Amino acid sequence: MSDSSLPWAGAGAKPQEQPRPSTTPPGTPWSPDLTPSRPIYDGRLSELFAIYLRHLVLMILTLGWSRFWGRTRLRRYLWNHVSILGDRFEYRGRGRELLIGFLLALVMIVAWGGLMWLLWVYVLHERPLASFGLFDMFSLSVALIGFPLAFVGHYASLRYRFSRTRWRGIRCAMAGSAWAYGASATFLTFANAMTGQLLTPVVSVNLARPRIANARFGTLPFAFAGNAGDIYGRFIGYYFLNILAWVIAAGIVFAAIGGTIEQLGLSFEEFMELFSRPTARTIVIVAAIAIAAYVVFSLLILPLRCWWQAYLFRYLVSHTRAGGVLFATAVTTRQMWGFLVLNYLIVLLTLGIGWPWVMHRTLRLIAGQLWVYGAPDGASIAQPADRGPRFGEGLLDMFDVGGV
Amino acid sequence: MATARFCDGQTAVVHEAAARATGNELVIYRPSDSGILARWPIGELDVLGDTLHEAVPPIARRGGHARLIVEDPAARRELAALIPQLASLAPVPPQAGRRIVGFGGALVTLVALFWGAIDIGTEYAAPLLPHTLQAKLGETVLDELLADKEECNGRAGNAAINRLANELAHEAGYKNEIAVHIVEGGPVNAFTLPGGILVFYSDLIDQAKDSSQVAGVLAHEIGHVVHYHPTKGLVRAYGMDLLAKLLSGGYSDILATVGTGGNLLWALRNGRAFEREADATGVGLLEKRGLRADGVASFFEQMMEKEPKDAAASAGIWSSHPATAERIAATKRPPTGKPAFTAAEWKALREVCK
Repeated sequence: MSDSSLPWAGAGAKPQEQPRPSTTPPGTPWSPDLTPSRPIYDGRLSELFAIYLRHLVLMILTLGWSRFWGRTRLRRYLWNHVSILGDRFEYRGRGRELLIGFLLALVMIVAWGGLMWLLWVYVLHERPLASFGLFDMFSLSVALIGFPLAFVGHYASLRYRFSRTRWRGIRCAMAGSAWAYGASATFLTFANAMTGQLLTPVVSVNLARPRIANARFGTLPFAFAGNAGDIYGRFIGYYFLNILAWVIAAGIVFAAIGGTIEQLGLSFEEFMELFSRPTARTIVIVAAIAIAAYVVFSLLILPLRCWWQAYLFRYLVSHTRAGGVLFATAVTTRQMWGFLVLNYLIVLLTLGIGWPWVMHRTLRLIAGQLWVYGAPDGASIAQPADRGPRFGEGLLDMFDVGGV
Repeated sequence: MATARFCDGQTAVVHEAAARATGNELVIYRPSDSGILARWPIGELDVLGDTLHEAVPPIARRGGHARLIVEDPAARRELAALIPQLASLAPVPPQAGRRIVGFGGALVTLVALFWGAIDIGTEYAAPLLPHTLQAKLGETVLDELLADKEECNGRAGNAAINRLANELAHEAGYKNEIAVHIVEGGPVNAFTLPGGILVFYSDLIDQAKDSSQVAGVLAHEIGHVVHYHPTKGLVRAYGMDLLAKLLSGGYSDILATVGTGGNLLWALRNGRAFEREADATGVGLLEKRGLRADGVASFFEQMMEKEPKDAAASAGIWSSHPATAERIAATKRPPTGKPAFTAAEWKALREVCK
């Protein structure tokens, strides 16, 4: 904003030179500032690896209790190496906040265990119900409540991470209820499973909406204009192509495995013998078959899935805005394959040590593929009154694996 | 003077700024018109984060939301040199390669130590665990197990099997009391829980041809007790599971899944080693007391007759027990020595569930 555009800049000037009230005639094209830009990620893989290895060393030394501080350090690194419109993000969470969150979730589990014990002693009088003992009851009930609680934890964790994220000194925030999200996510996931996954677009859009529309940058809310109906056509195509691909893949794999055993001249018993007393040769053959099966699977099934995921991601991003700032991405099926499949293989083949590489690749993909149109009107965005949760991520830590 | 970006923490407006240190203040101003943006007392300056994790650690007034961001490393060093409160802006992080080598080496060493501590350490540490703790653990499992089963309460039969169990254990130098529980029904099996708790299924006693077979199986289970196998197995399984979780950094469940598979194979290998050790110890204890020691081999032979296709041999690395033929060969003894139970004891044991 130049000084000449300030309301008081014309003080003392001739009356006819003073800015006049808006005289824009109706129908004049409105041309908002939609200058495109992309985020910049300038993190280095070697530095990320050094931080991660230090985290693993401390994990072993403290038997896992350092993970809250380790995660915090990794986030500080990743957040601060991403910038939008020239300004870096800040992560200002603390390890002890995550520790307290974890301890609170632990207290909840212990209380639940106590409740189960009371039920066992005073209602069931220490006799198993349909051969379910106290331990079975506890593990089964934790698994049952764990499913919806993982959704609650996921949302609460987003809220925590948002509240600890700053850009231009302004905190982000997340409105809405984690419990409402958990209930809705549980219901939608269940309904989707009951209908053979045919509700996937409804689930995707309705779970994305609260996460996007409740996000805030300071006092600026994000908005989401997605509608499941928009993406059903593509989904139905994907759905039936996927079934066809599975049938073909299964046919190829069975034909290949059946043929191989026959060619080796082995009976089924001899084949099983190979597995129970594996020689180096068996291991190599099994590994080769596993890789071949995975290749068939990854060539037929995964590209289709990535095709759909890339489409869904493009849709969700392009239907999101923050005030006058619009977002778009042209992420391709191949890039989605690199994100979903290669990242999975990296973690698997490096036995987890390659995790920093996955984080690095993910941020590079976001930086390369996310387009931001326009800039927020900084003067209209204030610091939010809500300071966010005091502790974070306990439920997620307990029931789910917490991502960055 | 350092060029920087300044946000006042009230709104999201960002200003191109410059900062100058005076005697007791850091003055932040617009270079274009020298308009003052903020004056922060030197004593209240704070650097958020550090140069190891933050690319550009923000400068703030303690407790405030406003931020001064100095992107230029030379300008940051200049400020750090001028103002002691900003000293943490200056350090250049050590080379990542050197840190990777250092932490990588430490990690490999720690994993090896952890593994060694579990694999070898339990061998020595298991007997040192307080017996009451081990017994409590065993009793918890036993309670779960007996919750929907009937225990056989024949007094004389229970007394007979407990008498022999304790004599064999004392022979091996085991100082704690052994408690044998007989559970009605099958399978044809017996097992040991931590804390010297043995469980025998009555089907095993019913199907035994003579008392030496029950004594042989009992001696085998005592072998597990005196070597603390249940406790060692539990500690090793838990330790390896923990190691896999720790190495995933708390991030990935893929490694945990791979780890679980590996752990299972490792636990089964441990199981087979435990069985061989218990077989040898059991037979040895019976021989030491001058009792008939052919029971366990003849019991295995009887099992083989019933089921010629040996499940343990077919399962190979997936079996918790060694192949039965191998166990028969290892425990084969002549039918000499005193009977382990008197005729009256054996009769009482056969009727323990009646």
